[in-house]
Parts: sequence; structure tokens; C-alpha cells
Amino acid sequence: MQYLRARNLKQALLQAAEAAGERVKFLAGGTDLTVQIAEGALDPTLLIDISAAEELRRLERGAEGLRIGAALTIAELLESARAAAGKPAESASIPRCLLQGAAAIGSPQIRHLGTIGGNVCNASPCGDTLAPLIVLAASFTLRSPRGSRVVPAEEFFLGPKATVLEPGEILESILIPVSHLSGRSAFRMIGKRNGQVISQVNIAVWLKRGRSEGAGTISTPIEDIRIAAGSVAPIPLRLKRAEELLRSVIPDPPLLQAAAGAVQEEIQPISDVRTSQAYRRSVIASLFTDVIGEVLEREGR
Amino acid sequence: MLLEFELNGKQTRVEAEPTLRALDLLRDVLGLTGTKEGCGRGECGACTILLDGMPVNSCLLYAAKLQGRRVTTIEGLTAEDGTEDGAEDGTEDGAEDGTEDGAADGGGDHACQGDCPPLHPLQEAFLAEGAVQCGFCTPGMILSAKSLLDRNPDPDVGEIEEALSGNLCRCTGYGKIIKAVQRAAGDGIKAAREPGPGSGAGKSGRRQRGATR
Repeated sequence: MQYLRARNLKQALLQAAEAAGERVKFLAGGTDLTVQIAEGALDPTLLIDISAAEELRRLERGAEGLRIGAALTIAELLESARAAAGKPAESASIPRCLLQGAAAIGSPQIRHLGTIGGNVCNASPCGDTLAPLIVLAASFTLRSPRGSRVVPAEEFFLGPKATVLEPGEILESILIPVSHLSGRSAFRMIGKRNGQVISQVNIAVWLKRGRSEGAGTISTPIEDIRIAAGSVAPIPLRLKRAEELLRSVIPDPPLLQAAAGAVQEEIQPISDVRTSQAYRRSVIASLFTDVIGEVLEREGR
Repeated sequence: MLLEFELNGKQTRVEAEPTLRALDLLRDVLGLTGTKEGCGRGECGACTILLDGMPVNSCLLYAAKLQGRRVTTIEGLTAEDGTEDGAEDGTEDGAEDGTEDGAADGGGDHACQGDCPPLHPLQEAFLAEGAVQCGFCTPGMILSAKSLLDRNPDPDVGEIEEALSGNLCRCTGYGKIIKAVQRAAGDGIKAAREPGPGSGAGKSGRRQRGATR
């Protein structure tokens, strides 16, 4: 297995393009990839390490939204939010559900190595940033020698460990649009313990209320809402039926209960090493109630 | 490939396969066997090292990724803090814990009291609190704790638990490990910042805490 380190994105693309006949994998933090290689699930002949490519490590708030470089580590993402906490304008720039999802990943050791782009490209149905990125209407910029294309998070995943990425194509950055930087969001996961655990089920909710802000919020209809869950289907799944039930309505307990039921019906869980199908279908109702409760409660304040 | 990086304060040059695990480079090539292999898949934390001061799993890290970085293993703790900062941390504390306390607890009475350089306050605290049983998780535990205390000298229990959440221990039940980190923070670092609830109060207080848990 050969190893190359790319100084920048262009070099990485070139190295991959020149590697005819090689089985190329791009390596970032390596927390998933090295295990899959060690266990024989993957057998690349060339690794191109993109973790040091500076243009993949930017975090920028611009007119179009928040752009997150794919090789930013999970710890760097969380740290940037912590560092910005004192500055009111910036603190809202990384949506809460994404921070909660990032914090749920692995251990401190994993979060210092692993990258957000790696979590996305590994495409595990249980990846804890995936449901948050879907509810935040994120889009992924993919680069190849032929140019770049933008793919919505929702359309990126094809199945467990399968994505629309073509050979030699790199996830460059993730954009969370301005439209979804406002509004409120939250994330929940459940596993066998709190730390260092893979989600048995996770769920993220983003919503935006109607026009009136402040005192009238409680009685203002939900203008828009997105719900997505992980580890409940071959891909992180957007739950549109539950969204429909809650869009343009003033949420009350019966409606939220109906939405929880819709969530249970819409998921397609399986039984696997981590837990059973029945448990996933049961527990997601509680997770949903909990997570939307957090969003609505925080908004009401 | 030729790797050049800072290892425990010393510039190190070593020829290695780029995709050799950092864990194997440290243990098998460089002879630093303090770093342990547990699960080999990033779940147990026994192989924790510090990369630019941050804890990472050396079993998930290819050797090539050490290029130009600053690496700390458990072997680096004495040299780093015991020698350089020894006068204020290691020596004073070591003497206190090693003699009066160590005798009372039966924990600080480590084999190296004579000729060895003084231990890091965290190592002293782990011995004094009985936070070491089989010892296999200890190097990783101590490095995760060191990374925490270097960034946050006065952590609360929740912050300690969070910092150690990637290090599994199958012996102690974690209680004594958490107390050891609290003790190191109190004795070694916090005392230097704000004298008071440090070593003096800490001693009687510690024994009480020990009795209740």
C-alpha cells in the first residue's frame, strides 16, 4: 500500500488522476478507513492523505452561508464553536444540531483525528453528522479533475458506505445555506453508553417559525421543518411525512404525538449488531419527542 | 520514508513504512513500550498518545502522519514535567506524596523513589489514589488527563469524565482514576494558581472522599 501526502487539493486530484491502475482511497483522519483496511474490508493500493490540504480546512461564514472544509476535524469544529461562544454574532454560526451530532462522535481521541468530511464520505447510516447536515439543507461541493459539482446532502448517500462520489473525486466542502442558519435545531442519539459509542438511532430536527418573533412565538405556526434520522435505513433518512404533519401548524401535544407515530412508520430499520429493529422503531418515538421538545422549548424562551 | 518529528521533547529521525501504525513505530521500532495496544480499532484508548498536545489513538494513525508533529508518550512525562518543571511540580509533590502520604496510603510508595527522576504529578496522583490496578489503561488514561489539565487546570468532574471517555478501564470502576485527576489538579497545578484548597486541605479531604466511595 503506497502513501502520498497532498499539499493541496489540486495536487491530490492530480495524484489520483495519475494513479492509473491503482485502487485509490483518499485518507483524512483515518479513524474509519484504517480500521476498514486493517480488517480487510477495503484494500486500496494507494492512499492519498488530504488531511493537510489547507483549502480543505477552512471554516468560513459568507453571504451564501457557512462553508465547512471537509478536512476540518470534529474537534476543530467543536472548538471553533466554543471559541466563538463569547461573541454573540458568531456563536449562532454553527447550528446546534450539527454541534450536538459532532460531540456525539466517538471519543476525544477520535474527534481529534476524524474529520467532518470523513464522517460524510464514510457514509455509515449511523454517522452522527449526517442527519444534522440533511435537516440543515447542506450541500456538498465535490471536486474532480473534470471540475466541481454540488450535490445536496439528501442525494449524496446511496447506501451503507456508498455515495455518489466517483473514483478520483473529493469532497471539498460542505455548505449550510443562510436560510437554514436561522431557525432552531437539535440532535439526539441513543447508544449503549454516553461516551465512545456508535448510535443505535439518531435524529435531528430543524425548524423555523412564522414571521412574528419574540412574545408571540408560542402561537406562531411552524413555517418550515426538516426531520432526518440515522441508523434507521440504509442511508440517513429524511422523514417527510412527519414534516408534513407539522408544517404550517401550531404544534400541540396531539400533533406532536401524531408526528412521532409518523416517524415510527416512515423509518425502515433492521436488526444488527448494535440493536434490534423493534427497539429502533420503539425508541425513535421518544427521541423525536425529546428532540423536538428541545427545539420548541428553546424557541419559546 | 524518513520521518522527522518531535518525540518527548527530542527531535527524532527514523526510517519507517508510511502506513506502519504509529503504535507499532513507537513500540517496535523506537522501543517505547509504555504505549499499549488494546483493541487496535480506536475503541479502548490504551494506545493514546498526544499529538501536538491532543489525545489521539496511535492504533488509528499511520506513521506518516507524525511527520513534523509533536508527539508525547507516557515515557515523555517525566522528562517533560519532572525535569524541567520538576522544581515546582514533581520534586515537591513527589517528596510529599512519596513519603508521608505514600506510607499512609500504601499507594505512593513506588519503586523509583531513589534514582529515578521525579514522576509527573499525575503519575504521583494515580499511585497515591490507587488508580492503577492492572495498569494496562494507565498510560493512555494519564495522557488523556494530562491533555485536559494542560488546557484546563481546574476541571470539574464532568469535564474529567468527558476527557477520559475514550479510555476504557476494566479494573478500577473509574472512581479512583477521576479522584487521581482531581488530586493532580489540586496538588500539582491548582496549588500553584490558587493556594488554599490545594495540598493541605486536599489530604484530609481526599481520605474522606476515599471513604465514601
